[in-house]
Amino acid sequence: MALIGLREVSKIYGFGEASTLALDEVDLVVEKGEFVAVMGPSGSGKTTLLNIIGLLDRPTHGSYLLDNRPVARLRQTRQAKLRRDRIGFVFQSYNLIQRLNVLDNVALPLAYKGMTPVKRWRAASDMLERISMRDREYFLPRHLSSGQAQRAAIARALINKPSIIIADEPTGNLDSFDSKVVMELFADIHRQGNTILLVTHNPELTRYANRVIYMSDGMIVGDERTAIGSLARGARRIYFSRYRRTAEDITAGVSALMHDVPGKEITDKPKRRTPAKRKKTARRSRRKVLSR
Amino acid sequence: MFSGNVKAAINSLRSSKWRSLLTMTGVIIGITLVVTTVSLGEGLKRQVVGQMNQLGSDVLTIRSGKLVSRDSRGKVTGVNVLAFLDSSTLTAKDVSALKNVDSVKAVTPLAFVTSSVSSSSGQLDNAYVMGTSSALPELLHQKVAYGDFFTNEAGNQKFAVVGTSIAHKLYDELNPTGRSISIAGEDYIIRGVLEPSNGGLLSIGQTDFNSAVLVPFEQAASLTEGTNIVQILLKSKSSDTDAAIRDVRRTLLATHRGHEDFSVLKQEELLGVVNNVVNKMTGFVSALAAISLLIGGIGIMDIMLASVSERGREIGIRKAIGATNRQILNQFIVEGLALTVGGGLIGVIISLLIFLGLRLYTNLNPVITVPIMLMAVFVAIVVGVIFSIAPALKAARKDPIQALRGD
Repeated sequence: MALIGLREVSKIYGFGEASTLALDEVDLVVEKGEFVAVMGPSGSGKTTLLNIIGLLDRPTHGSYLLDNRPVARLRQTRQAKLRRDRIGFVFQSYNLIQRLNVLDNVALPLAYKGMTPVKRWRAASDMLERISMRDREYFLPRHLSSGQAQRAAIARALINKPSIIIADEPTGNLDSFDSKVVMELFADIHRQGNTILLVTHNPELTRYANRVIYMSDGMIVGDERTAIGSLARGARRIYFSRYRRTAEDITAGVSALMHDVPGKEITDKPKRRTPAKRKKTARRSRRKVLSR
Repeated sequence: MFSGNVKAAINSLRSSKWRSLLTMTGVIIGITLVVTTVSLGEGLKRQVVGQMNQLGSDVLTIRSGKLVSRDSRGKVTGVNVLAFLDSSTLTAKDVSALKNVDSVKAVTPLAFVTSSVSSSSGQLDNAYVMGTSSALPELLHQKVAYGDFFTNEAGNQKFAVVGTSIAHKLYDELNPTGRSISIAGEDYIIRGVLEPSNGGLLSIGQTDFNSAVLVPFEQAASLTEGTNIVQILLKSKSSDTDAAIRDVRRTLLATHRGHEDFSVLKQEELLGVVNNVVNKMTGFVSALAAISLLIGGIGIMDIMLASVSERGREIGIRKAIGATNRQILNQFIVEGLALTVGGGLIGVIISLLIFLGLRLYTNLNPVITVPIMLMAVFVAIVVGVIFSIAPALKAARKDPIQALRGD
């Protein structure tokens, strides 16, 4: 049975000529227990998609079924309760409340559930024990390293035993070591049967997922099932042909801007790379990856 | 959740102590004014009521000027505050005439002489030097602790009876009987010392008998060249004072050539007059307090609106992890309440310190009661709820995504 079902979901921001189509009739079904990595360039609609799935935003058109029940048009209070009970959020910038210590941060969703302080602190303490952070219970977020802060945020996302974990670039602010620790934590959570949706720019992280979705211009342009541990094919392509900005691109951008300005012309033609040079660059980057 | 909100609110106040304290200032001033004024008024009323109970209902007070307005049945309908400022129209002739009224048992005038007295060891400028008669102790149930009160025959003798404060301040002893006291350049012998009294300024004699120096009425007249009788106290023969009031009025109208420029007041009427004056005073200061509370409330609203803008991200996080709009609303209302109730408690503490000062250095006895404190807390809660609703609604209605971006 599908856990998440999006049918022709669109999201438009703004009005009239200033409107932006962030999602364009997206259809998506996510089964329980899937680890879905969402990839795509900036502005492709990844975060909007996750916000709609996480009930932080409402689609302009289309329907969203959570456990086969339509949830997109529910009242705000009902949506807040679903967020509290069914969904756990992990953000790129951790989003811990700076004035609360780690224990209170982790226990906060339980407070909104109406649990008594002693019970929620005990539950939060157990959760911190699970991620080996019990010794940091009374630390304030500013006293934690980036990796610890993100682990605390994951503990907060898990405290209500949600069925869906939504992680928006959770390793974006972490170094490679902390990224690995955090991703191992996600893998562990996934093994316990949780459904995870993870937005990432890093193709390497698709190794942890069993499904990769590629987005572009508000549409899902690729949907690939992959074995855990292996790099997804699409991700590999992105990996090896990572977009690199050249002097040529910069000049092209400038000339596009200058096009409408009368009396200004670009005189210097940009140097073009020869096909041989392009091949050489690709070979160099592939070698770099293999050496890692 | 409520305890969580309270903890979050206290955390929020502690994280910006100075800002919180400055925000509370208006509420602190407002609550201090309210509590102090109401307690002072309550204290004065109690003093007056205490004295009246001590006196009994058969004592009448005659005062200069028309202090009260009455309806056709003689019931008091209003108080003329300006009449308190009139110069006295009561004379020694009135006192003599009243002594001959059948329904009157005893009469004693209270004539103000001066406020300055001195002795060989120093001078006092806040004494009540009053001319009165030997009937005063009986009328006011005022006992003499040491020595004796002067007698009827002492009219031309230079005797004085002093209150305990005078004995203490001027002679630094409990019993200065036999020593001399100088009033307007004339020396008087202290014949007795009054027992401590709990009378206040607005009480029956408008005299603090602890700070009183009482001399025979005839002596007062010679000291001031004409008397300034503040009031005449008299005791009715029967407990039904209406007959006495009629007789007294008739007698005084005769001595005042038919012009009613005096007031004959029963105890409860006098209490009504005092209550009226106290209530007007309390009302005036309470209006000032209300303005202060209004300004304090607006200050709190302003700071809380700024706080909602600053904490947009926090609101976004709370919403993302499942806080409903109502829970966010409650959180900010509790924060507003923490500011106003905190301010209210500080205001009550400052009031208590003021009372301590008043009790130590003046003869005012403010009374702070549980209802007054509950009223202060209630006012603080009302101000808190009213002025934090708008910021709390703004916080609750924030869009979670925009809030997460910190907008």
